[in-house]
Amino acid sequence: MVKRNAWILLAACLPLQGIAQVAGTPPNGRLLASNCFQCHGTNGKAVSGFERLAGMSASELKSEMAEMKVEKEDGIMGVHAAAYTDAQIAAMAAYFASVKK
Amino acid sequence: MNVNRRKILAAFGAGGLSMLPLSRALADGLPASLTGTSPIWIPSNAPVHPVPTTYAASGRVVVIGGGMAGATVAKYLRLWGGSKVQVTLVEPASAYVSNIMSNLVLNNQLTLNSLNFNWNRLVSNYGVKRVQATVRGIDPVAKKVTLDVGAPLLYDHLVVAPGIEFDVVPGLETAAARALVPHAWKTGPQTATLRTQIQGMAAGGTFLMSIPKAPYRCPPGPYERACIVADYFKRYKPGSKVIVLDENPGITAEAHTFGVAFSKLGIDYRPGVAVASVNASTRTVVTATGTQIKANVLNVIPNQRAGAVLASNGLVNVNGRWAGVNVLNYESTAAKNVHIIGDSSATTQPKAGHIANQEAKVCADAIVRAMLGLAPDSAIMTNSACYSPVSSTQASWLTAVFAYDPVSKTMKVVANNPAEAPSASAENLREMRQWFSNLMTDSFA
Repeated sequence: MVKRNAWILLAACLPLQGIAQVAGTPPNGRLLASNCFQCHGTNGKAVSGFERLAGMSASELKSEMAEMKVEKEDGIMGVHAAAYTDAQIAAMAAYFASVKK
Repeated sequence: MNVNRRKILAAFGAGGLSMLPLSRALADGLPASLTGTSPIWIPSNAPVHPVPTTYAASGRVVVIGGGMAGATVAKYLRLWGGSKVQVTLVEPASAYVSNIMSNLVLNNQLTLNSLNFNWNRLVSNYGVKRVQATVRGIDPVAKKVTLDVGAPLLYDHLVVAPGIEFDVVPGLETAAARALVPHAWKTGPQTATLRTQIQGMAAGGTFLMSIPKAPYRCPPGPYERACIVADYFKRYKPGSKVIVLDENPGITAEAHTFGVAFSKLGIDYRPGVAVASVNASTRTVVTATGTQIKANVLNVIPNQRAGAVLASNGLVNVNGRWAGVNVLNYESTAAKNVHIIGDSSATTQPKAGHIANQEAKVCADAIVRAMLGLAPDSAIMTNSACYSPVSSTQASWLTAVFAYDPVSKTMKVVANNPAEAPSASAENLREMRQWFSNLMTDSFA
């Protein structure tokens, strides 16, 4: 039984090697996250006023967005937060977390 | 909450704990570089993002037009495509003068010079090649762009972002007539002319402006202009009138905000009125129903269409005015490997700089994917956001988020969108300056 599971695991890994991405393949979440760049700067490196998102932990960004979805007082960000699904927000948050501060 | 708290902390951080009185700029929560009539929108220490040298994508891209869409796509093709994606930006002008914020030139809050941007950082930071020339022709079969000066440019992908062209209003055929009745809807000399006319008008006079039929560039822009001028008159030209003729059946953007502002400012708003012709020397408009209205300052904003370079190359195929595109990669529906972004394209999205920047990113991503043999991302989102000043001290905002709908193959506004600010405020005016600074840095640096 143990042996058989090991084979299944190995087989599951093989296709991953087969589709190794070429250098520069657009990372998941980047194009979605770029919707934030106009106000929060290229790659989240805002030059003025708006919060810098570059290098922010994914969990912090996700919880801030969840908070803004329900809080009307955040105005324009409340509208934006409500427009994205949780999965989309998670993908954006993972991208910003991957960017160096 | 968090965002606001952090913003306030950042403002105090910039001021330090010095006992000197805070400058007015800091008291307003803005860095000193963003205040006054000549603010520095792109700070000299704006981050430079390295162009990767190991990426597999390679090919030649020619970009026609260096406005919001063209500048952004040039930058992101290099940033996301890497150094083997050669990008040549063709633009005849020596500077890009921003349309966003330009109504604040009319009331002297900003100088025209402060809205000048250039492509130097795209060249020095991202390795974009800049060619100052006018396009003579596009050959989508030979994949070649011919110019008025220099050798033709060969491309694998062509991106065309020429902005808008204006219809000729009967009576405004000559340059002399247009100098008397400027539209000032492409920032430049006409903006300076309109400012001089407004400021030279005697108190008690009439400013009449007309709003073109939608779609036109910057949906809230004309209403914003009416408010800015009326607010200026209130302070400096008491007793003056503002009349707005709108070819549309009602206010096309931020109906609540501008409805409130128009009644507060006493603006005479006349929806459903089209301008048929203009007598420039007497500054009189004739409406489609034959009514004549005379003004002291006349600002007729003509109906709009895709940039001339698209029409002359057979790329205008929607209502005889706009260029049809596939919104997943902005490829023309009339020619392969030709992508059209920004105000010229026929989409469900507004014609405005903020969303043109996002269209450029979708286009850049799709071109890079195509070079890697990949299909465009089909789960795309775009967003439009715009802050509008409604007086010298207050602004509102308008925003909409769009998602790709595979059934209609269009970008569809998501639920609860679009939305506008609950009310105009001084806080929105502060955020407007920060928004513009970040937007222009994302596009031009």
